[in-house]
Amino acid sequence: MGDPVFGIEKLDKDLKGIPEKKLVLFSASPSVGNEVFGYQLIYNNIKAGSKVLLLLNRTSPDAYLGDMEDYGFPVENKLTILDSYSSITGVIPTGKPHIISVDNPYNKDEVFHKLLSELDKGYDLLVVDSFSLLIDFFDFQTGLSLLEDIKKKLEEKNTSGVILFTDWNYEAKSIDSLIKAVNSTVEIKGVEKRVIFGQYFAVIKCDWTEGKTFSSVLFKAVKPGGIKIYFPKILVTGPTDSGKSSFIHSASKDAVSVDKLGGTIALDHGNLEFDGYKADLFGTPGQERFDPLLKLLGGEAIGVFLIVDSTKPEQFPRAIEMLRKTEAYGLPIVVVANKADLKGALSLKEVEEKLHLDNEIGLVQTVAEDLSKVDPNQPTKLKKEGVDKALSLLFKQLT
Amino acid sequence: MAAIKAGFKSFDEAAGGLEMQKIYSLIGNKESGKEEFLYKLVSSALSSKTPVVYVTTSRSYSDLINEFNSRHLPVSQYLGADFMIFDDFSKISSPNAQDTNYAKILNGPLDLTGLSVALSAADGNYLKEGRSVFNVIDSVSNLLVYSNPSTIFRFLQFICGRSKMSGATTLFSLDSEMHPPEVTETIKSMSDGVISLKLDNGARYFTFTGSTKEILKWTELN
Repeated sequence: MGDPVFGIEKLDKDLKGIPEKKLVLFSASPSVGNEVFGYQLIYNNIKAGSKVLLLLNRTSPDAYLGDMEDYGFPVENKLTILDSYSSITGVIPTGKPHIISVDNPYNKDEVFHKLLSELDKGYDLLVVDSFSLLIDFFDFQTGLSLLEDIKKKLEEKNTSGVILFTDWNYEAKSIDSLIKAVNSTVEIKGVEKRVIFGQYFAVIKCDWTEGKTFSSVLFKAVKPGGIKIYFPKILVTGPTDSGKSSFIHSASKDAVSVDKLGGTIALDHGNLEFDGYKADLFGTPGQERFDPLLKLLGGEAIGVFLIVDSTKPEQFPRAIEMLRKTEAYGLPIVVVANKADLKGALSLKEVEEKLHLDNEIGLVQTVAEDLSKVDPNQPTKLKKEGVDKALSLLFKQLT
Repeated sequence: MAAIKAGFKSFDEAAGGLEMQKIYSLIGNKESGKEEFLYKLVSSALSSKTPVVYVTTSRSYSDLINEFNSRHLPVSQYLGADFMIFDDFSKISSPNAQDTNYAKILNGPLDLTGLSVALSAADGNYLKEGRSVFNVIDSVSNLLVYSNPSTIFRFLQFICGRSKMSGATTLFSLDSEMHPPEVTETIKSMSDGVISLKLDNGARYFTFTGSTKEILKWTELN
């Protein structure tokens, strides 16, 4: 049997599992959570035949195992749990040999002694969920001193360790000491503006991979399924004939449209690479009869281009309605005022006023590359300058 | 600025309700009528189409709904789309309690991360629909039974920050008799507005500080 694994392909590929005697910290921001990393890791190691010990103080063993099962990670009785939670609530699971009770979770001597003597029995992997709660129960210094004892024990017993931690804005000095004390740190954070529109993890430290650097990846915790890495989705929406397909085709290298007689009836899609970013553009149909699709297409988008026809202010309420129906409010938005070179087109300021836009929303004009080549049944090639400006404004908001 | 009416004539006339997108503390002892005030406020928010996320730490979601019903403040028609209950109580005694389409069963009062993740996600979902949500944490006192005050302060600071970011209105309910004065004062200092309630000679009174229209003198609530 090899070293314990993370059970998350990207981490196992980058770090080659968790070597024995090494301690890994999963440090999450409070809006994101890290428990699913723990579930997936425990499940995959138990499946591989490893002996796993969990120090649990966040919830009851039954609730924890039930949640694991909901994520598709059943471990039955194969996980040994040091239960440092139940006696606080008075509901102690009985007759379960794989659950060891801590009588008083507020007594650090008992918690620490039971943990270290259980590790003496020989485990392949220790998981602590949650280390921040241990710190909150006692104090940061006490938590760090327990960590030193844990490290000695891992060394002695050839065990690997993982601690799950929520960073509740503790002192920077304390966090530095914690990161110094572990062999590897994986940060889990939200891509946050007004709403959390994405979450990512990144390896910020690893002392067994010799100067290798790692990229951060976006992920979703799926029930069932666990941690799934995904690629960002940017929505392109707006009223009929405003130029959504034209924008997607102009911005992407390989766009496709599912259309009929010029108007998109189902979907536009394009992959784009711009300024070091990669993204998928998804277009929505503009006609009202396809509105039920909008929410579906808007799901999981992390940013939005709202395309409007500068010559048709009467469509602006519809544009805002579409934004609402895609549930894209609160996401970074760039409004693209297309057809800005046509007769009767509103100025940028007029578009801004008529759409009642927030100051934070970017606004860009686009025009056709060559008006003489415009075919109403085909996407029009838009001038690069305006398209690039729109992309750059949105990516600036996203990063 | 838009306001949530409390549903009490004297309060709404004097204070104009609770301005939205702010943080409030509701403070009083057991007899002060906190629950009555809170349930009427929530019912009033729902009837004016403000979605509510209610975190209950001292009773199950079904008991909470019964509390509303027993006061003739029916909320059933709002459950789901407009009224979400985060039940942070049931799993203490029933670890296998399951979510419904309007009640999310959380891990219990020690798992503050679980609560903050759930609240951040719910507020974000309402904001994506273009709606500003009213969060109620009933009660902070119960959270303080399980965790030390500095842990709870860090948690509340985070919740206040996220609430402001997402344009939500948030209310913390607190039993003043359960904590030393410095704990109550710290929670007050995190809030934009503080509603204090008391019972005196069979009548209920309120003050409301920190709002645009402050009510500093104890005023009868009716």
